[in-house]
Amino acid sequence: MKRNILLAAAIAVGLGGPAYAQQTIKIGYQLPLTGNTAQYGQDFKNAAEIALEKFNKSGKIPAKVEIVYEDSRSDAKEGVAIARKFVDDKDIVAVLGDFTSTVSMASAQVYKSAGMPQLSQSASHPDYAKISEWQFRNITTQAQEGPYNADWMLSKGYKKIAVISEQSDWGQTVVSNFVDEVKAKGGEVVFSEYFNRGLADFRPIITKLARTKPDAIYTGFFYEDGAQFLKQMKQLGVTIPVHSTSAAYNQKLIELAGPDAEGVFLTATFLPSNPAPHVQEFVKEWKAKTGQDEPGQFPAQAYDAVNIVLAAITRAYPDVTRKSVRDELAKTKDFPGVTGDTTFDANREPAKKLTKTIVKDGQFVAIEN
Amino acid sequence: MSDNRFSASLIVAVLLVLLFAIVPLILGWLGRSYLYQVANIAMIFALLAASLHLVTGVAGLLHLGHAAFYGIGAYTAALLATEAGWPFLATLPTAGIAAAFFAVLVALPTMRLVSIYFAVATLAIGQMIYLVLLNWVEVTKGPNGILLFGGLEIFGYDLSAPHLAYFVVAMVTAVSIWIIHRLSHSYYGNALRSLREDDQCADALGIDTVRLKIEAFTLSAFFAGIAGGLWAHTTGYISPPDFNFATSILILAMVVVGGLGSLPGALVGALLLILLPEALRVIGDIRNITVGIVMFLAILLLPKGIIGEVSALDLVRRQLAGAWKRVDGQGIGWR
Amino acid sequence: MDYWLQQLTIGLSLGMIYALMAIGFTLIFGVLNVVNFAHGEVYTIGAFVGLLVITAFAPPLIAVVVLVMAAGAFVGFGLERIAFKPFRRFTDEASLKSRAMRESTLMSSLAFSIVAREGLEIAYGSQYQTVPLDYLINQPVDLFGVTIVVGDIIIFALAVVMLVGLQFLLTRTRVGLSIRAVSNNPLGAKYVGINTDRTIITTFAIGSMMGAAAGLLVGLYYGAIFPSMGFIPGIKAFVAMVMGGLSSIPGAVICAIILGLSESLATAFVPSVWADMVAYGFLILTLVFFPQGLFGTGRERV
Repeated sequence: MKRNILLAAAIAVGLGGPAYAQQTIKIGYQLPLTGNTAQYGQDFKNAAEIALEKFNKSGKIPAKVEIVYEDSRSDAKEGVAIARKFVDDKDIVAVLGDFTSTVSMASAQVYKSAGMPQLSQSASHPDYAKISEWQFRNITTQAQEGPYNADWMLSKGYKKIAVISEQSDWGQTVVSNFVDEVKAKGGEVVFSEYFNRGLADFRPIITKLARTKPDAIYTGFFYEDGAQFLKQMKQLGVTIPVHSTSAAYNQKLIELAGPDAEGVFLTATFLPSNPAPHVQEFVKEWKAKTGQDEPGQFPAQAYDAVNIVLAAITRAYPDVTRKSVRDELAKTKDFPGVTGDTTFDANREPAKKLTKTIVKDGQFVAIEN
Repeated sequence: MSDNRFSASLIVAVLLVLLFAIVPLILGWLGRSYLYQVANIAMIFALLAASLHLVTGVAGLLHLGHAAFYGIGAYTAALLATEAGWPFLATLPTAGIAAAFFAVLVALPTMRLVSIYFAVATLAIGQMIYLVLLNWVEVTKGPNGILLFGGLEIFGYDLSAPHLAYFVVAMVTAVSIWIIHRLSHSYYGNALRSLREDDQCADALGIDTVRLKIEAFTLSAFFAGIAGGLWAHTTGYISPPDFNFATSILILAMVVVGGLGSLPGALVGALLLILLPEALRVIGDIRNITVGIVMFLAILLLPKGIIGEVSALDLVRRQLAGAWKRVDGQGIGWR
Repeated sequence: MDYWLQQLTIGLSLGMIYALMAIGFTLIFGVLNVVNFAHGEVYTIGAFVGLLVITAFAPPLIAVVVLVMAAGAFVGFGLERIAFKPFRRFTDEASLKSRAMRESTLMSSLAFSIVAREGLEIAYGSQYQTVPLDYLINQPVDLFGVTIVVGDIIIFALAVVMLVGLQFLLTRTRVGLSIRAVSNNPLGAKYVGINTDRTIITTFAIGSMMGAAAGLLVGLYYGAIFPSMGFIPGIKAFVAMVMGGLSSIPGAVICAIILGLSESLATAFVPSVWADMVAYGFLILTLVFFPQGLFGTGRERV
């Protein structure tokens, strides 16, 4: 009993002491390492490890930074429990994640009440960053991508456009932002439907869609559903041009769909062929670490997210607390990430630059404007 | 005889002290809100398992859509709290009533089905409710989910902090489980058990089997709805994937692994299947496969469940000492 | 008219896929009167084994199917030994009638399926596996103005072969006779001298063989092979089986086709997100009017 009191006293002194008594600074990362979306979580982890190793080697700050990974399985129950776990750990000054908006939002409630900065590399729910001043995200929302794509498609002369998207909060924003812009600029949306994620057979929808004779199709998929859709379109002999969002931008899309992916247009914030040195360095490290061909959009997002937090910690050092990290994060301006320069606006949303790409000869190729 | 009755209420008293005094003390001393969160989730699922036990364990109706009523309760509470600004004390019972209402609607056409046909019907109904929650965007906000900013407020006091919410959840759960216990250990519970054992026989005895089935189904949905309301207010954000088929299967697993037909079994099953994955986080990515193996071993070695109904009934038997004595080691009457 | 014909054709092909799964599922249920939650995983394992064989040796498709069927039989055997046999060790009357015992096989097969699926996920990751493109059986074929694919023909042929083969097996062979006897009355069959254990193993082997073959073909048909691929087809097979009346394999096939048709045709009228709703609604309606399923033969209760 006496030992416990002494221990408690020691901890209290240690916590109250000056910040430089902290030898290790910790960042929490909640992500799906198992379960249906594990492939994304594993990608994030790999990217994060690349970023972290580089940072610790560079010796920008005298202390060492560590990332604590916890598996949320994209399940809100687990996400909230993990959030509490992170909040309890006094050494953790910032949190990254989660993958899906639903888990990010459920966890955000915890971070809001406990005061912990949270940066999600992929949460796209429109209300996510509005939950409190502690929530950040570095992925372009559809509020930016939708109108961009709408303008692109209209400028190619398409008048009648069909829209299809997955039934999720992200999918909803894909449709609403795109459709609003198309209608505002005088285009016509002849078909607009959702499908439940994981649908194996798109053929009934494709047949229905083709019947409305659109000039082009705008799609809101992740690469798995995207590959299925493209393959089945070819099966049915439907040759309408297809545009998609950055969420489908992944080498696996081409791997799964093969020749059926030729000619698909996508927007992207990350292009592995970008000759900029920091991009090429990331691509090289990624290939070496994972043995995969090229990183897609999502690992690049994670890589940038980790680096943004590390940069904020660097700026806040030596006074590294949750509040100071949050304030430094909010001040992030023109951060040179692999997904483009990132600046957080007053609502902690990023402003990014989008690139137009097309799939040609089995590769993503940037299109000059 | 007085000894046995004393021992039964002693057990209850010990449990209550444990729940309301000892556990919070330990958790408070450890000082980690994470443990409170896990405890809250465990209690909510204990309530879900107890409510499923009423319909599947006691009345013997295999129910594969329980999470849907959990979802109806959660959505009712969340929508009332956000759209109409109702306080927690009002949304919670309404959540239960809404779930019960839909259960009655669903039960009426399907009650004449038996065993596996009924199970498939509940599966279909569970999926249909899930699809409505996911796709009826105008009302349920669809996949966007519902964000509750109010949290847990009772009479103006904000009780959202995990250690305060713990007491609220514990209170509601304890009362609900007590009600379920009273229901299943009574003549009403016996009538339900007769449905499970042989409903043709029960019918011949003059028991209104259809009405009983509907009642059991509705009651279980009521408590599932209450659990949903608790979940909505303590988590602050709900979305359709929280209430899918996999969740129904999880709750069913809790009841069966813990012991079909025994309420303490259902509670043990719930605690096991919530606490074990959390405790195994340290072993990393293989924790789910480990949970599967543990589940399998539990069922293999204790096929009647961890606290099978037999042992639970033994407890009751001792309480009514003398009525159902064991003669020469052979049990007569109940199994 | 073309449009409706095309939707109809798609519905038929969807239905055939569900039917492939339902056949093995119904066979196993018929014998043991328990839902085999692990059938979806046998389906998945079939697909993965097939993928392994294809990437390692690249043999012709027929060889792959045969190998996968053999693997499926093996897995079925293992499944029965691990998850179902241990619960037959109690042969006293009370245990035989106990509901808890029956539900426990439900849970043990569920636990097996969790372990299998997680194992696959750890080994391969949860993403869609890359399938060598020349094995994808989805080259389009133009048939009287509607488009089907090569895979449709193969799946249809396989389903027919399975159905006919099973009917022959069940009605004309001794093995089939013992299967029917055990499914009718296990205790009685035992008294008559049938080796119930061996019969059950045989049933599992045959049913799992079909499930594995189904998994392989559907995996190649859609080009989508991933650890949780058996979950939804498992549910659909279960629904088809019950709708068809538990004991009838042709009934299950017909109901599987009806399910596929209703999904595809529903998409023609309502947004596809509600299409599943139509299928389930259909099921409920069927059960309300035919409480024993469409072709159910008044099974003896408990």
